[in-house]
Amino acid sequence: MILIPCPWCGSRDAGEFAYGGEPTPRPDPRTATREQWRGYLYLRNNVAGWTTERWYHRMGCRRYLTVQRNTVTNEVRQP
Amino acid sequence: MKRQTRRLDRQPGEVIDRGSPLEFGWNGRSYPAYAGDTIASALAACGERVFSRSFKYHRRRGLLTASYTDPGCIVQVGDEPNVRGAHRLVTPGMDVRSQDTWPSLAFDVKAANELVGRFLPAGFYYKTFIRPRPLWPTYERVLRRFSHGGVVSPDPLSPELSSYDKRQVHPDVLVAGGGPAGMTAAVAAARAGARVMLVEEEHSLGGHLRWGDKADLAALHDLRSLLAASGVEVLTNSVVFGRYDHNHVAIVQRGLPHVYERLVKARAKTLVVSPGLIERPYVFAGNDVPGVMLSTAVRRLINLYAVKPGDRAVVLTANPQGDAAVVDLERAGVEVAHVVDARGGDDLVRVLGRGGVKGVELVGGHRIECDLVVTAVGWTAPLTLLTMAGTVAAYDSRAARYFPGTATLPDDVLPAGGVVGDGTLDELVAHADAVGREAARRAGSMSRREPAAEIPALPVDAHPELFHGPTHGIVDFSEDVSSRDLLTAVEEGYSSAELAKRYTTATMGPTQGKLESVNVVAIIAEATGRTISQTGTTTWRPPYAPVTLGALAGRHREPVRYSPMHPWHERHGAAPLVAGAWIRPDHYGDPAGEVLAVRERVGIIDVTPIGKLDLRGPDVPKLLNLLYVNRWSKLEVGRVRYGVMCAEDGVVLDDGVTGRLGDQHYLMSTTSSGAASVWEWVESWLQTEHPGWQVHVTPVTTSYASINVAGPRSRELLGRVVAEIDLTPQAFPYMHVRTGRVAGVDGCVLWRIGFTGELSFELHVPASYGLHVWETLLDSGNDLGVRAFGIEAQRILRLEKGHLIVGQDTDGLTQAFSAGLDGLIRLDKDDFVGRSELVWQAEAAAESRLVGLHPNDASVVPEEGSQLIEAGVICGRVTSSRWSPTLHRSICLAQVATEFAEPGTLVTVRLPDGRSVPATVTEHLASVDPEGARLRG
Amino acid sequence: MVIVGGGVHGLATAYYLARNHGITNVAVLEKSYIGSGGSGRNTAILRSNYLTPDGVRFYDRSLKLYERLAAELNYNVMFSRRGHLTLAHNDSSLRTMRWRAEVNKASGVDSEVIGPADIKKLVPFMDTSERARYPILGALYHPPGGIIRHDAVVWGYARAADAMGVHVHQDTELTGIDVEQGRVTGVRTSRGSIATRVVVNCTAGWSTLVANLAGVRLPVQTFPLQAAVTEPVRPFLDTVVVSGTLHVYVSQTDRGELVFGASVDPFASYSTRGTLEFVEGLAGHVLQLMPSLSTLRLLRQWAGLCDMTPDFAPIMGHTEVDGFLVDVGWGTYGFKAGPVAGETMAECVATGRTPELISAFGLRRFADGSLVGEKGAAAVGH
Ligand SMILES: Cc1cc2nc3c(=O)[nH]c(=O)nc-3n(C[C@H](O)[C@H](O)[C@H](O)COP(=O)(O)OP(=O)(O)OC[C@H]3O[C@@H](n4cnc5c(N)ncnc54)[C@H](O)[C@@H]3O)c2cc1C
Ligand SMILES: [Zn+2]
Repeated sequence: MILIPCPWCGSRDAGEFAYGGEPTPRPDPRTATREQWRGYLYLRNNVAGWTTERWYHRMGCRRYLTVQRNTVTNEVRQP
Repeated sequence: MKRQTRRLDRQPGEVIDRGSPLEFGWNGRSYPAYAGDTIASALAACGERVFSRSFKYHRRRGLLTASYTDPGCIVQVGDEPNVRGAHRLVTPGMDVRSQDTWPSLAFDVKAANELVGRFLPAGFYYKTFIRPRPLWPTYERVLRRFSHGGVVSPDPLSPELSSYDKRQVHPDVLVAGGGPAGMTAAVAAARAGARVMLVEEEHSLGGHLRWGDKADLAALHDLRSLLAASGVEVLTNSVVFGRYDHNHVAIVQRGLPHVYERLVKARAKTLVVSPGLIERPYVFAGNDVPGVMLSTAVRRLINLYAVKPGDRAVVLTANPQGDAAVVDLERAGVEVAHVVDARGGDDLVRVLGRGGVKGVELVGGHRIECDLVVTAVGWTAPLTLLTMAGTVAAYDSRAARYFPGTATLPDDVLPAGGVVGDGTLDELVAHADAVGREAARRAGSMSRREPAAEIPALPVDAHPELFHGPTHGIVDFSEDVSSRDLLTAVEEGYSSAELAKRYTTATMGPTQGKLESVNVVAIIAEATGRTISQTGTTTWRPPYAPVTLGALAGRHREPVRYSPMHPWHERHGAAPLVAGAWIRPDHYGDPAGEVLAVRERVGIIDVTPIGKLDLRGPDVPKLLNLLYVNRWSKLEVGRVRYGVMCAEDGVVLDDGVTGRLGDQHYLMSTTSSGAASVWEWVESWLQTEHPGWQVHVTPVTTSYASINVAGPRSRELLGRVVAEIDLTPQAFPYMHVRTGRVAGVDGCVLWRIGFTGELSFELHVPASYGLHVWETLLDSGNDLGVRAFGIEAQRILRLEKGHLIVGQDTDGLTQAFSAGLDGLIRLDKDDFVGRSELVWQAEAAAESRLVGLHPNDASVVPEEGSQLIEAGVICGRVTSSRWSPTLHRSICLAQVATEFAEPGTLVTVRLPDGRSVPATVTEHLASVDPEGARLRG
Repeated sequence: MVIVGGGVHGLATAYYLARNHGITNVAVLEKSYIGSGGSGRNTAILRSNYLTPDGVRFYDRSLKLYERLAAELNYNVMFSRRGHLTLAHNDSSLRTMRWRAEVNKASGVDSEVIGPADIKKLVPFMDTSERARYPILGALYHPPGGIIRHDAVVWGYARAADAMGVHVHQDTELTGIDVEQGRVTGVRTSRGSIATRVVVNCTAGWSTLVANLAGVRLPVQTFPLQAAVTEPVRPFLDTVVVSGTLHVYVSQTDRGELVFGASVDPFASYSTRGTLEFVEGLAGHVLQLMPSLSTLRLLRQWAGLCDMTPDFAPIMGHTEVDGFLVDVGWGTYGFKAGPVAGETMAECVATGRTPELISAFGLRRFADGSLVGEKGAAAVGH
């Protein structure tokens, strides 16, 4: 079980969190083309290496937080 | 009873307790032993030499390593299969049996496999039973009967074998392996102020010192005293089986009084890995015949268990450990007929004898009679924990073994002892002491200013590269893979270590490669003309030692939730329904009667699991407008509204009603299964997209007990228990909310809504009064014919009314229009979650629609999931179906392709039994009261 | 032409290119050894009881190809048809089982919903009592389902392709794809460059990395999927058992080991190191199904990388870059599709046309918003 650093609660087992994945900016719904919207829905960078991602401290402070994680080594650091 | 004919006089380092004799059973016969004996040592003391049959050829097998990894002594103990007999201590009355031998260990009919042995080379199965095709299934059945291992039974296990638990620990320093290095490192770390845990697989600490000479035993004595005074927590008969990311370390602890095994989960600040070395078997003809042992095996037998391993021995030695074995043997009265010194280039050609050693053949054809062959040809470093931590093992040909590549290790893992070098005991202690101090420093137990401890490198002794002799022999004892098999694999092109291993199954068996992996790589290297380094290594996969499912599971309990009214339900014969975390009343014996009670009089249902979120703040309307597909800005205080949520792809996510209790105070309800996910959904939009909005969310699902009072007489019933709320239709119309006192309980919320299609009120009362309000309603409504109804009745009622259930009448791809929610969706809103997709769906027209469906034969209720088929093509499916007690006919909801969605369309339903029945699409989703007169009443 | 990835998909594509279309000027590039990816790490469950008619037709074709594969390759792939049970622990999954059974039957595939008594007969070790935390209400029984020797399939295809002249380059990593004016002109590898007009991406968990080299974005995320095996015991389990609610599936090999799998890890990663929480959860769930197995020991755990798509269906065929084709998105269920994917991809490459059988699986469907319906009943899908 890896540890996720929560800015409010400190390092906690990842099992306390829900994984939120890569944050994807929401296109403006009034102007977005289908292509853009479906990019927002389905395309992720899927980086092998350091990436920024969102986690939700479901069993703790219930805050969404952002961490950096290396998807190959699972090293984690605060952004 | 058997006698301990091979038990020696008292040995200085023996671990048996001669004051505690006991008896146990081996294949149904009674055997004597002493406390402290392993199954193997006790049997060996009585002269037994054969403990199992090998996997493929069913050859007789005896002791090889006399330790946990011994592949020759895996036995069945009672209901427990695959027990390591050379590790497990005997207990009085223990029932031990050899595994997988029929009809007996001595006469195993499957040994006939050996006679056809030349037909079972590597990859045998891949190359045979191909044509004619039907042969493989037949042979497969035979093969399965020949499969190996102990037996499990479908009957419940005894309580001793079925209790397990878990423990969480947070040591500063965790030391894996309690030989001299591990003991020293643990003491040093503890002295530096660290909280230390030391874990040892065997039953006592000390590693190889335990079977050493006087000086070794004296050193061990001193180390034990130091350790005892250090405050280190010691776990013996326990094993560190995994090092996972972020130094999450898994230990299985055995030999506990109340549980069979315990999983200890450690979050270690630093991990010291000091598992010592494992002696490597030698590959040559007959190397698996009972009576061929490693030098450490005979030293263990003699020194720890006072067992004389044979009468006349030939020893092949390439190192001091082998030389020491010669000394031990002679001291134990074993005649050492010949010592083959491999350092001088001498070698063993083959072992003579099949069921047991009868002699050996030396180079040049010279034969020597003996009943024991001992080999000491080198070491394997068990690197599992270190490779799990990221090390890539590197081969050193001068030392003839692999070492961890320390450069790749994370800071929180430190190897110590034999895995990194050799040296004298003093050198080992100096090294391990520094490792212990450094481990403590890295764990932060020492002051930050403390400089890193200089860890003296251990010298590495030169050792000849000895893997196999001039003949072929067994490489993997548990898989019966020979060196010849490996050559075959290479010849057929499986020439990388990984492929050859997979092709032959070498290293795949219960010894997990600990004994055989280096020999495998060495033999492949030689066959391919490469060096061992070029050939690489085989991966060491966790766990380091096999671990029971029981220990991994622990006391597996999944919590369940009950509503405050549960005791009443139980008393009144409710059939339980498992609904995720909740146990709910499905019905009270008569769902149809419950339906009629609601339609004709009044019923109450426990709907506590409905998700409830308390929302406060000025920006709640913005939130509702964003998350629901319909419009929310104009919801007045005192009103409730039904809403549907979609995901950004337009797929229906959840539904429920939300009421406005006060100016800035709302109560949102969700489906029961959506309670947790909708809360998270709401939080994600608030926290990540609109952190500026002022909305505070509190989950109140279990703060309230929820009761729906439904039926034409619900108003009358409720009137008897509420005091200050005017229930008249004018004062409290449909889709309104009131708060107040119910049955004397303050702080209740009442919603006038109607999932069942009847006049109904949903009460949310403070949970601790739930049962009270429930019982009061029933008591007060006796004369009205009030009755409790369950989920099944509710399903029928809502189906009669044509109300959809998200997840049943919709699926993971159903967009809102397909769910028939056209009337609700407000595409003219600027934005809401899922709007873009719904705009496009509206342009394209939905591919399928939710419709009401009546089978033309009113008595046929098509099972939910039945398909609609036209001209051989599937064009829809029944999503909900029931017999309607109200209408005396079957009714359904169905998802159908849009071209069949027109009311009056005749479609064909294929029933599971193969019959096809006609059915007609109805005008409305609702079969009962489509105009909604009843619920507005 | 160049095929990237020496798993079952890459090798099968190469094999059918040679066998069905006579194209042997093919290089299969594999950065490690063949079968080192998902193809050598999966639990080798074969079945065709999918939810959509398209899915059923597709996987049924694969099973048919698997049936005759041993004879065709002259290599025993040890296909063992032993039946496949998907348990339903609540009425909603029971409903989905019925749905699947009816779709299967309509497509001529043998599937039926059976009750607890019949389940107990098939699997005497199963706790079918009502006291269970998640009582078993029924199951989808699919007799043609079974297991196979994954390595044998990989090796069999490689051997046969090699014999027809295809080149399989192990220890050769694709490091670049040259694209000029929207079409592929060549590739670069760790061992030199190759001029080619066609590149087929069969790299599963690594597929986005390879697609990025051609400038193509894929709706794929890489998640580890873990598996584990116990020590052998005498045979007691004849069928493959899957429980979506408990996130576990189990079968017993001919060698007597129990092979377990589960659903993907909870977060995206390229790590194949495995976790403790996986084996803990797994053991708990297995014992909920078969409580008397507490004393059985877990011998080995491992992980493989899965290329997950948003709709639990693969991505096959042409992309916006001319000559760059994909056969990816196989997630947790792609081993069983190896033969049919190889056959159709070979046809796609050889003829330039997209075979009907895979027309629903094109990359365009995401931009077009027409996802495949398997998501309708996302369960543990293997
Ligand atoms: C634990 C587990 C259990 C599973 N169980 C089942 C099951 O029961 N049934 C089922 O049908 N499916 C199952 N699957 C899924 C199945 O294994 C995969 O879908 C399937 O093997 C994919 O095959 P592939 O050939 O596409 O990919 P892979 O076998 O993963 O092959 C891809 C190859 O590409 C290579 N590669 C990557 N990048 C490069 C590069 N740049 N250059 C050169 N080579 C490269 C990799 O080394 C790898 O060998 C399971 C998967 C896992 C992990
Ligand atoms: Zn927190």
